[in-house]
Formats: sequence, structure tokens, C-alpha cells
Amino acid sequence: MDSNLYTLIVGTSILLFSGYLFFPEKGLIAKWKRALLNNKRVKIEDALKHFYDCEYNNADCSLASISGSLTLPKDDAAKVIDTLQDMGLITNTGDRFILTSEGRSYALRVIRVHRLWERYLADETSVNETEWHSQAEEMEHMMSIEAANELAAQIGNPIMDPHGDPIPSTKGELPQKIGIPITQLNEGEFAKILHLEDEPSTVYAQLVAEGLYVGQQIRMIEKSSNRIKFEANGEIAILAPIIANNISVNLIPDSKNVVKSFKKLSDLSVGQKGTIVGIAKAVRGQQRRRLLDLGVVPGSEVKAEIQSLGGDPTGYRIRGATIAIRKKHASQVFIKDIISE
Amino acid sequence: MKENEILINRANELRWELGETLHDSLLESIYKDAAEISKKTVKSFGDKESYAFDIKLDKILTSKLYGFPIMFILLAFVFWITIVGANVPSAFIASILLDTVHPWLKSLSYSIGLPFFIDGVLLDGAYLSMAWVIAVMLPPMAIFFPMYTLLEDFGYLPRVSFNMDSLFRKAGAHGKQALTMAMGFGCNAAGVVAARVIDSPRERLLAIITNNFSLCNGRWPTQILIASIFIGSLAPPYLAGLASAAAVVSVALLGIILSLVVSYSLSKTALKGEASAYSLELPPYRPPRIMQTLYTSLIDRTIFVLWRAIVFAVPAGIVIWLVANITIEGSSLAQIFIEWSNPFGLLIGLNGVILLAYIIAIPANEIVIPTVLMLTVLSAGLTGVGEGSGVIFELSSIQDTAIILHAGGWTALTGICLMLFSLLHNPCSTTIYTIYKETRSIKWTVFSTVMPLIMGIVVCFFVAQIWHIIS
Repeated sequence: MDSNLYTLIVGTSILLFSGYLFFPEKGLIAKWKRALLNNKRVKIEDALKHFYDCEYNNADCSLASISGSLTLPKDDAAKVIDTLQDMGLITNTGDRFILTSEGRSYALRVIRVHRLWERYLADETSVNETEWHSQAEEMEHMMSIEAANELAAQIGNPIMDPHGDPIPSTKGELPQKIGIPITQLNEGEFAKILHLEDEPSTVYAQLVAEGLYVGQQIRMIEKSSNRIKFEANGEIAILAPIIANNISVNLIPDSKNVVKSFKKLSDLSVGQKGTIVGIAKAVRGQQRRRLLDLGVVPGSEVKAEIQSLGGDPTGYRIRGATIAIRKKHASQVFIKDIISE
Repeated sequence: MKENEILINRANELRWELGETLHDSLLESIYKDAAEISKKTVKSFGDKESYAFDIKLDKILTSKLYGFPIMFILLAFVFWITIVGANVPSAFIASILLDTVHPWLKSLSYSIGLPFFIDGVLLDGAYLSMAWVIAVMLPPMAIFFPMYTLLEDFGYLPRVSFNMDSLFRKAGAHGKQALTMAMGFGCNAAGVVAARVIDSPRERLLAIITNNFSLCNGRWPTQILIASIFIGSLAPPYLAGLASAAAVVSVALLGIILSLVVSYSLSKTALKGEASAYSLELPPYRPPRIMQTLYTSLIDRTIFVLWRAIVFAVPAGIVIWLVANITIEGSSLAQIFIEWSNPFGLLIGLNGVILLAYIIAIPANEIVIPTVLMLTVLSAGLTGVGEGSGVIFELSSIQDTAIILHAGGWTALTGICLMLFSLLHNPCSTTIYTIYKETRSIKWTVFSTVMPLIMGIVVCFFVAQIWHIIS
């Protein structure tokens, strides 16, 4: 009896210990692998990215902002800046630091890898969107620019990352920054989301939780100093201005021709018919191609025909075939002209 | 050269202006044009009535009231027919290949004076193992696959995935995994091949990796035999049959639950990196083409799987015979391994015989019990049973089998752990090879081989230790 109890305890400990070692992402081995990344290189590249961000956004970089974005004590941040200067990647113009042309092209290479990887995760994998950024943060220091170019060719040389940031071209070109913060919209104006800032991640998670995505049409309803209320595809979103500031939009000037909001495919109850208007930008990669392949294209007539035992998925009649689509995807297909039979 | 560069630069500038919707807009306009052209030129008529019939049938088969009962009854019927119907042809094939041809070959080899060693390797090893695999695998597969294919052809199986989808969605999987699971109850290798119907890469891998949790045809007889010997005896006699049946069903249910749990955790961790695209077509019902179904299911599925099993059974048969007959200092390799691995076996509620049997009987779960019996007789030094060392055998009476196993030191715990281990261990070599063929990935093949084995060892360990403490 005692020896059995002893064996049981030893067995349980071995199990717990190997869980501690091998647990994906949180285990000791995963952590150790991450720590193997060259720390110095990571710091240099992250600092360069920060300098580039400042330049792109016409903001000033300071020692404080560097130590803030790299989460380093000021002394260490100063050391990183010294190293960058020694390497000829930045220069001191008296009151502030600016990137040299080598520094800029290095920064753009890192950014290219980062955004390409985000795009890859969004289109070709099922990694959750709140994890795109953090995974790309690791990948940008590991992937060579050649491998990144190969990846780009594989996924069709995309020009935007899934957050709406442009991906630098192989020559390091980027377009002019466009778009305005959503907070500058007036009440009643229509706009399209251009960009969702992915940092800090808690704020981004909140935007994702609201179901917002790049390419979505919104309408400003009400704004005040403590809250921003807007409509996104028929659903009301309310955000604090400080959070809403992470959304950039493009104003749609001619609001007369704008369709205010579309019904969704998932709104159809069995027996109802509609006409497809389009698929939301949030449906990406293979799933998007699949829907297009099945005939979910603007102008197709669609009829909800049958519901599964559990209520989800629903079978829709599209172009002469019955196709089951899950609610998650059906709610991202827009339709119009709903008629009941 | 110069012009070239100007052109490329201009193109690069324009790319930014066009934005990223270009691909989509192109695609959409192509579809739109195609639709318009077909609207103008293609005429369709008729077909309305059968479509109305489809809807009516769909309403019944996917209704909350009848959907599940119909599914259970149909699938249970298929399994029942398979298990019951396979007995007769199995016995017939066995009587020819095992009881007639084998002795005849033996006497032939005796008359031409074949050396003991060659006779043993070829006839008692390679031939016997191959004959055994054919006898136990062919009939169930020849019954199960055509019936399954008929249901598929008729259009019922897509409705099953449609109904089961919400359950599998919660596990991060595809509704069609219900079909590959059902196929896995017939044969895991066929279940792995059946995962081709899932056209989303992540969900397909999930279905392939978890297929081993479906208790296959080769493991049902093991479960039933062990349950009736060890579980039945735990209950009062009048409940013995019921208790052992309940035990077998619980193991099968445990397999289903585990396949969902494992699907869920894999989709959240290891398989995050795979793309996912859901869609499920509900084809119109059509009368099954019986002759074609028979032909394709026999050729594509039965013969295909059987051939792979035979390819692995022959070398395994040779190994089985050799380990029982090559001796070092008076004891055979088998005995040495059994003694060496016995402490570990006992730790997880099994014994050295079972461990060795699972290693050398890797080509097919069907020959695990015959191998266990042969090894038990060999290692316990029993006389008067079996056909000699290295010759796998089975006994027609459950009582006689029980006597051998009890003589080998088996307890109720051994029985329970064997039932669990039979569910949770590496897939047979045919399935492993098929997984490799289907995924073309050594990583996923190794993973789907090792993962259930580790689970089995862990589960058996805890069951055994807790059992010791309680009893």
C-alpha cells in the first residue's frame, strides 16, 4: 500500500514535470527556445523599428520613448542607442536622432518580414488574430530577407498586412501615410476602416472583440469627450476615445450613395431568399477562396434551405447546390433584397 | 533596359494605388461574367420534383426529433451486420488457410526434408501470420466497406456530418470527422484515407491524427474476449454478459470522447499553423449504384487495405517466429525480453508478454491475442496447449483461453489495463504507413504514432496504481 502510494506520487510528479517542460508556448523548453534568440540583435532591431515608426508618423523619438517601447531601463536604452550610432545606423543631429539610409533600409527589412509574417498567419493559418502581432515580433528577428521574399512570392506579393499597414516592397518603398483617426469623423459621416493599430495588444484585443476589421464600413453616430459611438455593419460599437484613436479611417465623401448597412446571410431564416452583396474582408485566405469557389459572389441568389440538428451550420441553396455554411462565416457574408416565400 | 525599369517602377507605384482588393475584384468579375454567360446560354428543365423530394427527406433526416435516432440505428445496424456477418466467412477462410493449407504445407515440407529453421520461418512465421490477417480482416472489411459506401453514395453520410458539425465545431474540427471516425470503427487505415473528404488542411490532419481513437475491427474481438473473461467475472453471474458488454461500449465511448478532447487541444496548440476553410456540400439524394459501389469498395478500400496489411504481416510473422525460437544461453529472445520488460509492464498494470505482443504484432491488431497466447504458453512453460513456440494460435473456447491467461498470472487489473491499452496505443503499421502516405510528413506520422502510446502508458499507470491502493 505504501509503496504503491509512493509510485503514484512519483508518477504524478513525472507527469507534471514533463508538462512543465514540454507545454506548448508556456513550457520551459519553449521559453528556453525563445531566450536563445540573440538578445542584442533583438534590441537593435526593435529600436530601429521604433525610430522608423517615429519617422513615418512624423513624431519625435526620445530616450524615454525608446525605453518605453523596448521596455528597457533608460540606462540600457542609452546603451542601445550608442551601439546604433557606432554601427552607423542612426546619427545625432543635435536635438534628436534620425536614421541614416543604412539604418532606414535595415529597419524596413525587419518591418517587411514582420508584416509579411502577419499576413501569412492571417491568410494561411488558423492562428488567432490576437496572436499575429506577437508571433511576428519573434519571427522578424529570425527570418532572413531572402526567405521572406520567397514567402511573399508564395502568398501572392501582398501589399498590406492584416492590420492595414503597408508592407515595404523589396526596394524598401512605402506609400504616403493616409487616413485619419476615427475620432476626427463628424456625426453621421461614413468611412472605411483603413488601419487597426496592433500595439498595445490589450487595446487591439478590444478592437478585435468588437468585431472590427480593416475594410469595414462604419458610420459615426455620436462622439463626446468620453466615448465614441459608431455603427459597424449594423452593430453599434462604443469605445473610449483613447482606444478609438487606434483606428484610422478613410472618409467616404459622397454619403448619399452609401448603403447604410447590409443584412447578413446568417439573418436569413429557413425559406427566405436574398441576393449576395459581398464577403467581409475579415474572411481571408483559403476560407475566402472557398466561399468564392462555391459561388458566394455578388449577384448570386441564395436561399436558406435547411438547418442542422444543432442549429448551426445552415444549408444554403446557391447556384443549384446546397452548401452548409457555419454561422461564423455566414455572418460575414452580406446580402440584400430579402424575400420570404 | 531603361524602359524596363521605368515600367517596373510605374507598376510598383500603381500597386499601392490599386489597393489590395484587386485580386478579389478580378475574381468576382470573372464569376459574374461566367454567371451571366451561363444565364444566357444554359437552359435547365425538369428536376423540380426530385428536388422537392430531397427537401422532404432532408427535413426528416436532419430534424431534431428523428435525426439522431435514425443515425444511431443505421450506424449500429452497419456495425452489427459487420460483426455478426463476418463470423461465418472468417471461420470458413480460417478452416481453409489455417486448418487445411497450413498442415498440408507442413507435411509437404516434412516430406522434402526442409530444415526445421526454414520450415519455421516460412510456414509457421510468414505464412501463418499472413493467413491469419487475411482470415480475420477480409470478411469484416468486405462487408463493412460496401455498406458504408452505399450510404455514402445515396447521400446520407453528408447529412450525418451536417448534423454532427456543431459538436465537432466546438472541438475545432470538421463535421466530416464524424464520417472518418465511423470509418475508423471499421479500419483505421481506411479511416485515415477517408479523411481525404475533408478539404481543409487543419481539420483533415485532426481527423487523421485522432482516427486511432476509433476502436477498429481488429480491436473489437480483443475487447470482447478480455471483457468476457475478466469483467464478466467481477459481476454476479446473471449480470456477467451485461457487465462485459457495458465495459466494451464504455471503452469505445471513451475513444470517441478522447478523439474530441484531443482534437480540441490540438486545434488550439500544435495545429494552429494549419489553414482552415469550412464548407460542406449536401449533394442531392440518388439511388446508389450497387454494382459500381461493390466494385469500388472492394478494390479501392478492401483490397487496398488488405494488401498493405499483408505486406507488413509477412515480415512480422517471421519476427514473431524468430524471437520465440532464437535462443541465447537456453532462453529465447522472447523470454529474455519478457523478463526484462516485465517490471515496467506490471507498473502500468500489464506484463512483459503484452508489451512484447504489441511490439511484434504491430502489423495488425487482429493478431495481438494469438501472439499473446503463444507468448504466454512459451513464457509460463505450459505444456499441452498451443502449437509450439513461435506458432500463433487461438482457442475456440473462452474458458480455455481464460485458463491460459490465469496461468500467465493475469488478474482483473491486467484485463482492464489491456482493454485500455488496446484503445490507447500506437496505430498498426498499416495505419502508420497510410498516415505517412496521406500526410507526406514524418513529423505528423511520428506524432500520431507516439501520442496515443504515451496516453495509453499514462492512463494504464494511473489506473493500475490507484487500483492497487484501493484494493
